[in-house]
Amino acid sequence: MDYALQQLLNALAFGAEYSLVALGLAVVFSIMGLVNFAHGEIIGVSAYSVFLAAALGLTSPIVAVLLAVAAAALAAIAFERVAFRPVRYAPTTTGLLTAFGVSIVVQNLFMLLISPKPQSVSILNGLNQMWFFGPFAVSSLQVMELVVSGLTILALVLFLNRSTLGLAIRAASRDFATVRLMGIRANRVIATAFAISGALAGIAAVFIIARRGSVSPDLGFSLVLKAFVACVIGGFGSLPGAAAGGMLLGFIEVGLLVALPQEYGGFKDALTYVIIVALLVYRPEGLLGQRVELGDKEI
Amino acid sequence: MARFEVSQAIENTAPPAAAVAQPGGALTRSLIGGLVTSLPVLMVGLLILNFAPTYYTYLALGAFVNLIVVVGLQVFMGNSNIANLGHSAFVGLGAYGVAILSTPLAMKKLSIPNAPFGFATLQLDPVSSALIALVVVGILAAVSGKVISRLSGVAATIVSLALLIIVHSVFLNWTDLFKGNQAFFGIPKVVGLPWMMVFSVVVIVLARLFKDSRWGLQLRASAQSPQAAAALGIDARRLRLMSWVLSALICGLAGVLYAYFAGTISPKLFYFQMIFNTLAMLILGGMATVTGAVTGVIVLSVGLEFIRSIESGVTIAGIQLPQLLGLSGVALGVVIVLCMAFRPSGISGRYELDELLSRLFRRSAK
Repeated sequence: MDYALQQLLNALAFGAEYSLVALGLAVVFSIMGLVNFAHGEIIGVSAYSVFLAAALGLTSPIVAVLLAVAAAALAAIAFERVAFRPVRYAPTTTGLLTAFGVSIVVQNLFMLLISPKPQSVSILNGLNQMWFFGPFAVSSLQVMELVVSGLTILALVLFLNRSTLGLAIRAASRDFATVRLMGIRANRVIATAFAISGALAGIAAVFIIARRGSVSPDLGFSLVLKAFVACVIGGFGSLPGAAAGGMLLGFIEVGLLVALPQEYGGFKDALTYVIIVALLVYRPEGLLGQRVELGDKEI
Repeated sequence: MARFEVSQAIENTAPPAAAVAQPGGALTRSLIGGLVTSLPVLMVGLLILNFAPTYYTYLALGAFVNLIVVVGLQVFMGNSNIANLGHSAFVGLGAYGVAILSTPLAMKKLSIPNAPFGFATLQLDPVSSALIALVVVGILAAVSGKVISRLSGVAATIVSLALLIIVHSVFLNWTDLFKGNQAFFGIPKVVGLPWMMVFSVVVIVLARLFKDSRWGLQLRASAQSPQAAAALGIDARRLRLMSWVLSALICGLAGVLYAYFAGTISPKLFYFQMIFNTLAMLILGGMATVTGAVTGVIVLSVGLEFIRSIESGVTIAGIQLPQLLGLSGVALGVVIVLCMAFRPSGISGRYELDELLSRLFRRSAK
């Protein structure tokens, strides 16, 4: 029973992290159709700012957390301003390849300017402890991941539903031209979407640093690949789809870890992707995506 | 679409005599076009074959493999306009296919003594190994293509990435068959520069023939306007599947050739680094044309070699620069970003080399 509960918590924690990152991708994709491959490098910038701040003598974990989130949001806005604005009106493939290029540049800049080797960061290790609830021992980090992700998603939902800018973002995902006709600046909507996406990535970065205790140039890359897959299963561009897809991915991964014998553990990633590709054969538009016929105006 | 209509109009109005005088005119034209496009490649190859020292020959062989990969990539990406980030999986499959089939038994005893399905005691000649490897690549491409051709653009790209990760993780973890993370050595080195040049030309011509064929034209039309193409009765899914399989076979061939010239392969060769390199080459050259693929490979191969020499630390005017690991990666990324922002159609743009030349001559003749 203890084991089953532990695995359930594992799945929920993994799923929560994937959901956070996938939501960041979906927010940006839904309004400007950009497949942001550089999302992992936003996580990277956030992690490396914590590393640098710690190296310069920062000791307070709370400041480090705030710094991580702020750095990620700023990095996201900067990426948009520098790289994605010139291709804003270009076809999806152009945007996708630009983002891929940005991702390569930033990853290699970490290598060039800091080091290709993982660097140790111990400032957030305090988040990762064991908590005892009666007979159960749980990792504090996993509980926090679950709670913080839940609260973040709640805050996002409130923002999107209750604020003018949130309303503008939701409207822009359907028809950007009309939003601009209502007197709302395109740049502001897009910058807000990127800031939200970056802040979500920053929260994910905090958990990654706390769990690994180190930073490396490719730290966000594989996570973002998984988040993309989560978006695809959920239906690309759909926010509930991204959150649900992330959770599903967490459950598939932990399920495979439990089910696979030890010596086949290496095949976990391969099998996860095979299951997901198989899901897509049955629902090419994703689990929560709607089948859009060509020429449909109302999505 | 405009070009489609124009070519039809020309066909309709052309006098029948011209058709008799030029049997299969379009076919001949695109065949000649392909050969013209491969001329620069042949020239570079011949120069290196006759004059260059061994080290450069080795570099050139690597560049030729990249050329074949990029042309393969162009077949899918250029015609369907869907970004493919998983093509190096097929390169890897081709390379490992011939490695497992053609490595001498004595070497296999050292490297994969526990290979399943009797592969440990099997040794085929290089040609039949290559054919079997390509058949396997073709089957896997057909299966994965079934999924990919059903998806919309973005989802198809993500699934192509998933495919790369699946294949890479199988290479790494199925140690009995693929030797895992370690290098697989002892593959017979049977391919030199002349064979590499022959295959490059064949592949370039093949890519050009596909692009100019009825299927290539229909696929390009459906990429530009899915609705109009569907209204004309074009089955875009089938065409995407077709170009995916052809693209995978060309990439698989590149892998086979790589294994046969290097003699040693390892999984990390066929992972993201190869994707970055070849994608940047195709984008820089221009993905709409086969000429673009060739141009991109030539320009970036030379450029990257130059950057790599700086990367490993050089002495300029008596000052020893430190090692700059990651510099070539930064350069590749910058090339992609700048190209996308300022010239999304790449260096060569819309026209093939032969089309450019004939336009040039026509203008100077006037």
